[in-house]
Amino acid sequence: MTVLTVALKYLRGRFVASALTSLSVALGVSLVIASGLLSRGIKQGFIEGTTDYSLLVGAKGSPTQLVLNVVFRMDVPTPNISYGTYRDLQDDPRVEVAVPVAMGDAFQGYRYVATTGGYFAALPWRRKTFAISQGRFFRDDPPEQPAYEAVLGADVARRTGLRVGDRFHEGEEMAEYPLTVVGILRSTDSADDRAIFISLASYWQMNEVSRKMQVKPLTAVLVRPKRMSDLAGLHRGFNVTAETQAVFPSAVLLNIFNVLSLVDEVLALLLVIVAIVVLLYLFVSMYSATLERKREIATMRALGARRATILGIVLLESCALAVIGGALGVAGGHGVAYLGASMLGGRGGPVANLFVVGALEPVVFGGAVALGALAGLLPAVLAYRTEVAENLAPLS
Amino acid sequence: MTEVPAAVALHGVKKAFPLGNGRSLDVLNIEHWSLPAGRCTVLTGPSGSGKTTLLNLIAGVSLPTAGTIAVHDTNISALPEPRRDRFRAQHIGYVFQTFNLLSAFTALENVMLSMMFAGAIPKPEQRRRAAEILARLGLGARLTHKPQQLSRGEQQRIAIARALANHPPLILADEPCASLDAGTAREVLHELLSVCREAGTTLLVVSHETAVLAAGDQVVDVTAINRPEYRVGAVERV
Ligand SMILES: Nc1ncnc2c1ncn2[C@@H]1O[C@H](COP(=O)(O)OP(=O)(O)O)[C@@H](O)[C@H]1O
Ligand SMILES: [Mg+2]
Repeated sequence: MTVLTVALKYLRGRFVASALTSLSVALGVSLVIASGLLSRGIKQGFIEGTTDYSLLVGAKGSPTQLVLNVVFRMDVPTPNISYGTYRDLQDDPRVEVAVPVAMGDAFQGYRYVATTGGYFAALPWRRKTFAISQGRFFRDDPPEQPAYEAVLGADVARRTGLRVGDRFHEGEEMAEYPLTVVGILRSTDSADDRAIFISLASYWQMNEVSRKMQVKPLTAVLVRPKRMSDLAGLHRGFNVTAETQAVFPSAVLLNIFNVLSLVDEVLALLLVIVAIVVLLYLFVSMYSATLERKREIATMRALGARRATILGIVLLESCALAVIGGALGVAGGHGVAYLGASMLGGRGGPVANLFVVGALEPVVFGGAVALGALAGLLPAVLAYRTEVAENLAPLS
Repeated sequence: MTEVPAAVALHGVKKAFPLGNGRSLDVLNIEHWSLPAGRCTVLTGPSGSGKTTLLNLIAGVSLPTAGTIAVHDTNISALPEPRRDRFRAQHIGYVFQTFNLLSAFTALENVMLSMMFAGAIPKPEQRRRAAEILARLGLGARLTHKPQQLSRGEQQRIAIARALANHPPLILADEPCASLDAGTAREVLHELLSVCREAGTTLLVVSHETAVLAAGDQVVDVTAINRPEYRVGAVERV
C-alpha cells in the first residue's frame, strides 16, 4: 500500500460524496473548456470565412452590415447599388479584379448569391479555392436569356438532398422560374457552403422589381487593386459619392473581434465565479470528510503514521477528485462545444473546426488540479494538526 | 520482577493536563516503575485513575510533563516527533477498547496499513504476512471483508492482528475486551495472550476482568505506582 492507494480507497469509501464532488469539478471544467473552444472557434470561423478581396463596395450604410451580409451571409441585405458601379470599377485602371454580387431570397433558408464565374476564379493571390465535386459551374448567360442554373454549396446539397439535375423553387410565385442544379461545390469551410450560386441574369429575371429595371441592381462589388498603394484612393473615391461606400473587410472584422472580446471578458468573469464555487464545494467536501475522520486519523498516528503522511493522504484525495473531475470535464466540455458549434453552424454562424489541439486543455486541466490542491490545503493542515490522545477515545 | 530485563522503564514521570487560567489537572506522578519484558502485565485501577494516560505516554502518543520513559532503552519522549512515530510503528502495537479499525479498508488492508507506516516489511511480503497473521487469529476467510461486515469479536481480532503486524516487542492493550460480551471477551483475550506468549512479546493490558487478572503474569494497580497523594484519583492544582 502507498499513500496514493490509501487516498483512493478513502475516496471509494465515500463514493457518493466523491462522485458528486468530482462531478461539480467536471461541470466547472467543461464550462470553461466549452466556452473557450467556442469563442476560439467563432473567431477562427470569422477569420477563415473572410473574403480575400481587400475592398468591398456597396450601398451607403453600416459597414459591418455590408460585410456581415455579403461575406458571412448574416444580417439583413443592404440596399442596392447600380450595375454601373461595377462597370466603372472594371474600367478603372487601378483595379485588377472586380466581381459583382447580388444577394437574393433564400431556398429553405439558404441564400441565393448571384454573381459571375469570376467569383470562383482561382487567382494566384487567393487563399480560397473553389472546386466542383459534381457537375459544373453555371454558365454566364446573357441578360435576355437566363439559363436558371444553380450551383449549390456543400452544406446546401447535404441538407436539402438536392442533386445535379434536380429542379427547385420556393413559393408559388417562383414556380414560373424553377432553378436547375448543375453543380455542387466542395466544402470551403465558409459561408459559401451555405449559399446557392446563380447567374446575375437569372437573378434579375427571377426578381419582380429588377425585371422591370433599366439599370440592373447589385448588392456589392468585390475589388482587388493592382497595387496596394491604390487601395486608399479607391476607398476614398467610393465613399465621397452619395450612394456608395467602400469598406475594408479586415477592418470590419477587427471591429467584430472587439465586440467578441467584450463578451470574452464577461465570460472570463463568469468563469472565475464558477472556479470559486467549485473551489468552495471541494473545500467543504474535504473539510467535512476530514472532521468526520479525526478518530481514524488519530488511530493512524497511534499506529505510527507521521503527520506528513496524514497531510499527504488528504491532499492527494483532494487532488485525485480534481484530476478525475478535470478529465471528465475536458471530455464533457468538448461534447458541449460540439453541440454548441453544430447549433451555431445550423443557424449560419461561422464556427471553425473545434478539435485543434491547443494550450486550452492542458492549462484548464492543470488549473483544476491546482484548485484541488488549494481546496485540500486547509483540510490537510487540519488533519496534520489532529491531536492523537484526545481523538483516540470514543466521542462521548 | 527485578531479575527480568525491563521492556519499559519510567523515571520521575509526571503528567498534568492544563485546564486554563493557570490551573492544571495532575494525573500521574510515578517515581520509578518498570515493565518486565516478555511477560503479561495486567494494569488495573478505578476509572479516571490515569491508565489510558499511562499507555499513551509509553506509546509516545503524548508527552510527559516531566521525567523519562525508556522503551527498550530508547528514551521515547526525547525523540523528535517523526522518529517517535517511526519508533512506535516498528516497536509498539496498540489495541483499543473501541477497536478503531479504519472503515474504508478491508481486514487485510487494515493490517497492511500498519506495515506501510512502519516500512520494515518489504512490500511484496506485506500481503502474505498480513494474511498469515489474520489466519492465525481465525480470520482466514474474512480477509476481504470491511469492519462493518464483521462481528465485534472479529473486529477486535483484526485490531490485534494489526497490532502484531510489524512483530513489535511490546503490545499495549487498553481494555480490549470491555466492548465485548463475556464469552467473546474470554476467547479474544485467550487469543491475545497466546499470540504474545508464542512470540515472547511484552504485553501491558488494562483490564478488570477476573479472567484476565488470573491469566496475567502480574497485576499492577496504577494507584499503587502513583505517588500517595494521587491514589484517590487526579488532583486539581493552581
Ligand atoms: N486531554 C485531557 N485533558 C484534560 N484532562 C484529561 C485529558 N485526558 C485525560 N484527562 C483526565 O485525566 C484523568 C485520567 O484519565 P484516563 O487516563 O483516561 O483514566 P482511565 O483510563 O484510568 O480511566 C481523568 O480525570 C481525565 O478526565
Ligand atoms: Mg481509559
